[in-house]
Amino acid sequence: MVSLLMEIGIVLGGPQGAGLETSMHVLARALARRGYGVIADREYYSNITGRHSYIHMLISSIRLPRSVRYPVEILASMDAETVFVHFSDVAENGIIIYDGGQASKSVDDVPSMEGYTKDRVRGVLTKLGVEPTVRSVVSFLEKDRGVTPIEISFASEIRKVVNMFRIDPRQASRYVSGLIVSAVAIVLGLEDKFVRYGFEQQFRERRHLAEQNMALYEILRDSMANLRGIAKLSDPEIGLGKVMLVTGNDMVALAKIVGGLRYQSYYPITPAADESFTIEKYEYSELNGKAVGPVIVMQTEDEIAAMSSAIGAALAGARSATATSGPGFDLMVEGLSWAGANEVPVVITFYQRGGPSTGQPTRGSQSDLMSTVFASHGEFARVVISSGDHMEAFYDTIEAFNIAEKYQVPVIHLLDKFLANTIASVPTPSIEMLRIDRGATSPGGLSYKRFDLSSLVSPRAYLGSENTVMWYSGDEHDEYGHIVEDPEIRVKMYSKRIEKMRIILEETPTEIKMGIYGDRDADYIIIGWGSVKGVALDAVDILSKKLRLCYINIRLLWPFPQKELLDVVRSTPRDRIIAVEHSYGVNIASLIEVTTGIAIDKKVAKFTGRPITLNEMVEAIERIVYRNADRVVLNYGA
Amino acid sequence: MERRHEYKTSLWVDWCPGCGNFGILTAVIKAFEELGLDPSKTVIVSGIGCSGKIAHFVNVNGVHALHGRAIPFAMGIKLANPNLTVIVHGGDGDLLGIGAGHFVALGRRNIDIVVVMHNNGVYGLTKGQASPTLPLGVKTKALARPNIQQAVNPVLLALSSGFTFVARGYAFNGVHLKELIKMAIKHRGAAFIDVLQPCITFNDVYTAEFYRKVVYELDEDPNWDPIVRKPDEAKEKLLKAIEKGLEWADRIPIGVFYVNEHVPTFEERLNKRAHRYPSTNPANSVIEVGGKPTLSQQEFEELFKEYIITVEK
Repeated sequence: MVSLLMEIGIVLGGPQGAGLETSMHVLARALARRGYGVIADREYYSNITGRHSYIHMLISSIRLPRSVRYPVEILASMDAETVFVHFSDVAENGIIIYDGGQASKSVDDVPSMEGYTKDRVRGVLTKLGVEPTVRSVVSFLEKDRGVTPIEISFASEIRKVVNMFRIDPRQASRYVSGLIVSAVAIVLGLEDKFVRYGFEQQFRERRHLAEQNMALYEILRDSMANLRGIAKLSDPEIGLGKVMLVTGNDMVALAKIVGGLRYQSYYPITPAADESFTIEKYEYSELNGKAVGPVIVMQTEDEIAAMSSAIGAALAGARSATATSGPGFDLMVEGLSWAGANEVPVVITFYQRGGPSTGQPTRGSQSDLMSTVFASHGEFARVVISSGDHMEAFYDTIEAFNIAEKYQVPVIHLLDKFLANTIASVPTPSIEMLRIDRGATSPGGLSYKRFDLSSLVSPRAYLGSENTVMWYSGDEHDEYGHIVEDPEIRVKMYSKRIEKMRIILEETPTEIKMGIYGDRDADYIIIGWGSVKGVALDAVDILSKKLRLCYINIRLLWPFPQKELLDVVRSTPRDRIIAVEHSYGVNIASLIEVTTGIAIDKKVAKFTGRPITLNEMVEAIERIVYRNADRVVLNYGA
Repeated sequence: MERRHEYKTSLWVDWCPGCGNFGILTAVIKAFEELGLDPSKTVIVSGIGCSGKIAHFVNVNGVHALHGRAIPFAMGIKLANPNLTVIVHGGDGDLLGIGAGHFVALGRRNIDIVVVMHNNGVYGLTKGQASPTLPLGVKTKALARPNIQQAVNPVLLALSSGFTFVARGYAFNGVHLKELIKMAIKHRGAAFIDVLQPCITFNDVYTAEFYRKVVYELDEDPNWDPIVRKPDEAKEKLLKAIEKGLEWADRIPIGVFYVNEHVPTFEERLNKRAHRYPSTNPANSVIEVGGKPTLSQQEFEELFKEYIITVEK
């Protein structure tokens, strides 16, 4: 294969703990520096060392990619397991990079593979008439699929660097990640300076590692001279002078800091904890003499304390948030209802993972929609918003605080593991256009009534305001916050809290409620939310040659923007609306039915814990449109 | 002359007549008066149960929180605005049953918060179930059978969790309790007062009559000195406190068990990381100027430069 491509898909695979994430960062930085667009989904087990993990990338010379797809042009494997579980992901005429030292390994020699996976792989190989060894699989790919095999003896190449720098041989395995980066960079024909940039950025505080990895790259570059640039991207034409290379976790963390977060609580949980780590790194800084922060990042004893203390900080006037996933959110629900009862502006950043129970701690899902909308006892106003990509996540994080403070409600910002962990090159957000809205505040005073009934949103004084005393209670309370069981006050107070939802719906701009992409008079309308956005938009583009499609990205999930949705779909035949979600139930369809009365029959579901890929999405829409399928369940991906 | 602040609200106090909580309420109000606490800078955070209502009866800021969660609510308030005096009130079921994890965590952190535990041995507001301080085998009148669970020792738990001020008071020894509350408020760090509180309706074993006979003051011993005066005395004083904390039944000590101001408070630990804290804190730091973030585009890109890649032409 020697070709010039506009986009290239890559899978980097290896055991957890072998430095795959480092490979991803180095490669992504090098490519972004060159001006290419990058997106990379990270798939990994709930495990620290040894289980199979992989990075699924798409790189582009013409745009910032927003989804990943199969097959991929390059499979770079650190180990035998990667070859066995990903060989069928490689495109015809693609490339497979593998370790010559593991070529004789068979499926039976790989203890980290689950029995079910081994059986499945053996079954597939048996049907193809291929022995279950790395060498046989590679030669099958070469003969039947035109794949270029690139065998590298990892041990002997790394030994050269070990000898050159007198590195302790026990440290040799640390260089596998650099070797993978080098091999891929060579195949892509990246110039040396970009590879160097990648290593130097990655090892900013450990220059010697950058040098050693660069030496490894040069050794490989010379020995692979005939393979250099065999899968070359065309010159970049995206046109951005600079980009950010960030995960969804990073984006939310940065936005919280910009948006004035002052208290963040969390209990360690995947895939939310990285966000808090990032905030903690910036808890206090001084920039040209200006203080940024302080943000107190509090690792609490559990999620109950995380929620409770975030509420406490909000009462004292701090912009306050907590970040969690499904199991943690469950523990926060009693606090959520206290925040609803006491009209506390607090933000819960909720990264969904596979449930129920511990479920799939490191895999993605969108199965907690109903939980966030309906969890807790009693009725009160809450807001649930979701973000479709990294940029939306940034702006929505700030919007979440604005909504929380403007309406004095708890806000749940519903994200997922896919977005949390996916690294993408994106434009730098526009800081100048951001707004911070703290809502109606009051200086307090001797006659201050925290829950003054003269308006739906009572002006807020903070605990500690001069000459002001106020009360809060989870019990039904009067305007001062004192417990009351009088039926008339109960009705007034209870209604006041709930009726805020009406003004939230009235005052929230349509573009915050939903994004509408494509043709409003489309043949088919696809409806989704959160991380479905990128893959749906790409599918709409691909199919645009033969179908007029529209994608509706619902961002305000609660209170549900029924009017705006009805405006778009009112005249669309019911069998021409398709709901898509990473769940079994495609629950957004139920939420739409409850709020608008429109029953959606066509559904695309995926709940393997892996993201919907572009090829799957296109195929699913085609099955619905051309073969009249009602429900398509997707399951591709190791 | 300026009118003195009325530290009691005008609400009718709806505890049972004769409840130990009245003694605690009076002691709290007297302590606040004598310390001259600014009501707008003082917050009572309470849990759920009879004791939880105290937040409404005292005329300072009150946060009547969730069952078991008064401590984390208080923590958020205090860390966000360290200039506030924050006092937690909870029952023994609240603090040592459903909220025990938070109690231990507060000790580990040594945040400058006072915890006053209304210890009556029962869950009063749900009609007298056994609480975590009711000893094994005791049968109070609401129980169908003797208590099948062991009691936790609040003083020992507080000591081992890291509270740097640990005391016990008795609800009907008002002057003594008031002094303990004042000391606890003045203490720098996490302070705990276990208050023996007769429940006149549901606890017919640990009654006022019972306590009157067995309670004695640690200060009766002129040599009793619970204060760690030099850091290397901490272990010795802690062991003595534990020994006294084990006394129960015939003679029950009240007073101060342990004081150690040599342990850095959480606020001081935070100061090491954000050196303008606590004077610049979450509650008083600027987050917007004219409705815009304090960071400019350029400052954003400078602060987060590690995420930004300039494309090389």
